[in-house]
Amino acid sequence: MAFNYDKYLRVEKMPTLWCWGCGDGVILKSFIRAVDKLGISKDDMCVVSGIGCSGRFSSYVDFNTVHTTHGRTIAYATGIKLANPDKHVVCVAGDGDSLAIGGNHTIHGCRRNIDITFIIINNFIYGLTNSQTSPTTPQGMWTVSQKAGNIDPTFDTCKLAIAAGASFVARENVTSPKKLEKVITQALKHKGFALVEALSNCHINLGRKNKMVSAMDNLDWIDSITVSKKKYDAMSPEEQLNLLPTGILHQDTEANEYCDMYAEIIKVHQGERKKITQDDFEKKI
Amino acid sequence: MAVMTAPENTPVWVDTARCKACDICVDACPAGVLSMQAEPTSTLGAMISVIAPDSCIGCNECELSCPDFAIYVADKKEFKFSKLTGDAKARQEAIANNGFRLPTDYKEAN
Amino acid sequence: MSATREVISTGNDLAAIAAVDAGCMFFGGYPLTPSSEVMHTISDLLPKVGGTAIQMEDEIAGICCVIGAAMGGIRALTATSGPGVSLKAENLGLAQMAEVPLVLVNVMRGGPSTGLPTRVSQGDIKQASNPSHGDYRSITLCAGNLAECYTETVRAFNLADRFMQPVIVLLDETIGHMHGKAMLPTVEEVKAGIVPRKRFDGPAEEYRPYECGPTEPAVLNPMFEGYRYHYTGLHHDSMGFPTEEIETCRKLIQRLEDKVMAHQDEIELNEEFMMDDLTGEEGEVLIIAYGSVSLAAKEAIRHLRADGIKAGLFRPITIWPSPAAKIAEHTSKIKNVLCVELNIRQYTEEIERASSRLDIEGLYKVNGRAISPHEIVAKVKEVF
Repeated sequence: MAFNYDKYLRVEKMPTLWCWGCGDGVILKSFIRAVDKLGISKDDMCVVSGIGCSGRFSSYVDFNTVHTTHGRTIAYATGIKLANPDKHVVCVAGDGDSLAIGGNHTIHGCRRNIDITFIIINNFIYGLTNSQTSPTTPQGMWTVSQKAGNIDPTFDTCKLAIAAGASFVARENVTSPKKLEKVITQALKHKGFALVEALSNCHINLGRKNKMVSAMDNLDWIDSITVSKKKYDAMSPEEQLNLLPTGILHQDTEANEYCDMYAEIIKVHQGERKKITQDDFEKKI
Repeated sequence: MAVMTAPENTPVWVDTARCKACDICVDACPAGVLSMQAEPTSTLGAMISVIAPDSCIGCNECELSCPDFAIYVADKKEFKFSKLTGDAKARQEAIANNGFRLPTDYKEAN
Repeated sequence: MSATREVISTGNDLAAIAAVDAGCMFFGGYPLTPSSEVMHTISDLLPKVGGTAIQMEDEIAGICCVIGAAMGGIRALTATSGPGVSLKAENLGLAQMAEVPLVLVNVMRGGPSTGLPTRVSQGDIKQASNPSHGDYRSITLCAGNLAECYTETVRAFNLADRFMQPVIVLLDETIGHMHGKAMLPTVEEVKAGIVPRKRFDGPAEEYRPYECGPTEPAVLNPMFEGYRYHYTGLHHDSMGFPTEEIETCRKLIQRLEDKVMAHQDEIELNEEFMMDDLTGEEGEVLIIAYGSVSLAAKEAIRHLRADGIKAGLFRPITIWPSPAAKIAEHTSKIKNVLCVELNIRQYTEEIERASSRLDIEGLYKVNGRAISPHEIVAKVKEVF
């Protein structure tokens, strides 16, 4: 028996509008398998997507779906989750959406540690709008807004998320769909802000002018810049310079989750407990 | 668990309405089971085809790597998959070296 | 509604109290002078009733989380001032396009830009008529006294749910920070008057949230209740999915316009103060003012009448859509019309449009100070 994705798809929307070979579809499939594995009901799931090719993610899945403005998935999702704390809220956005215009919301979603799963589809470029530089486009690559070569340094998405306070951070490639499915499953189970960076290929935009014309070339490049966390941790800084570790990079199951903390606020105002003070927190600064 | 039953006696089958001929599954297959074929009515002028189902080893790499829900593999309980043979590997190499299309004059080893 | 319950409070606090009384269960916002007290007050009121109030990281996040909460079916509020509305513009557009109801309280301050954060203006009138890009038919109310900070906020929530779009409630720094007595309806009356948004109760397969009559709003069931559809800011079809189909797109945008304009009678609200004896005779004066300026205008009218000048005030409470028919009716009858506002001609231009007159007199002030009754009296005597 093959896995029946159609159960979770809005089948009348197939085929997707993504380019041939685009990794977004692989991420979509990994996500669906993870949801199915956890037995999450379609009515208990909300998927919020941003603007970009990854923005179409939400229209393909048969859940409660929202397609927001550029960069604001976390902000919308924060409202959806706070108003419905017992439901699953999953954000899907691209590297530009989540780290450029949406950088601030990403940071504060991590900081609040609100129970949202955030899948960042990083294809290292602005795809939908045709090849502008994103905060993860490697320096020196050709982009349409920096045809003389990209001089912008890059973010390390996962380091940023960990520093900002996310309690679950993982990274996987579209070339490892089973591993991607596994970290997404773990992220969905995790109580707290769970960020999964899914490295994807955009051979049509990033690849075409940067010597990765075919999907396979682009996928090979992604493989060449990633290595398991175990191997990465054993490397010297020089070896680490041009590599990104994959796997679960950070997990803290003890961190306070925001909706839980707000429930305590409600208790304070309803006279069920005393006010929250610094003594309630281990971390006092 | 969302499952679909495989068509009878079929290791791997494709949905040509969804396939975009990206070549990834053909590249992923270790056993030369799949090939692109010319298809003038499709966008890229090509379409996926299962050319050697008997060679399929059930590794599922094609399904996992397909972004478009266009290819499916039977469960091990539904089909007795083959083991990977030298012929299959050779055919795969020929396909991969020929723009993911089986060369028209390709002759199997035996 | 009645005006029997005496409450002593400020305009900002009354807006917050009104929201909770009207069933609001979510607030998202960001501090911005002179609106911050709305957030401070509601952050204590909402958790008491099991609701949520959150201070977000910026103004944009403030409106986005409110839209997200409203998508879950609950009444949601944000409060800000002019610069915050500017920041919220894009997402107000999404709420308008996707027909998500919410209430935005704008406590107007000196502008433009950083302007005069702690001083009064009415400089956001034009902005309120379209805070976003594209076609946007705004519903904007303006509180002209303390009690209206409460009653107009209550009305705004009912209008938002009726018309399925954001509704703006304009206060200004004077009224927002004014502390005094307000005569309000009882909480029971307010609760009895809540008209929640329509919902579809048939089989999920038959549900078409955005398929409605040409002058009707979308029927959006709350999320997570078995009715799955799509929200987007793109042009969309009956299930909310993006489309570029010619007729679908045309009908959608036209319906967003017509759902408001075809039902202006449900939205319009004016006060006609001392206008009963204005018959169009020589020497009569019609003053048009709104918000805190109307308080000075009413006092000025008492002075003018004591001086033998028959003056009256036409005060729009619903600012947008403007009461164009009423404006045309009154300005065709009365020759001397003076528009008084704390901006440069923002509503005057609408009055010119509605009246087809280019001889409307004006008294304008843009330095963050109030207009006094004396100034209005002096202007009337100067120009008429």
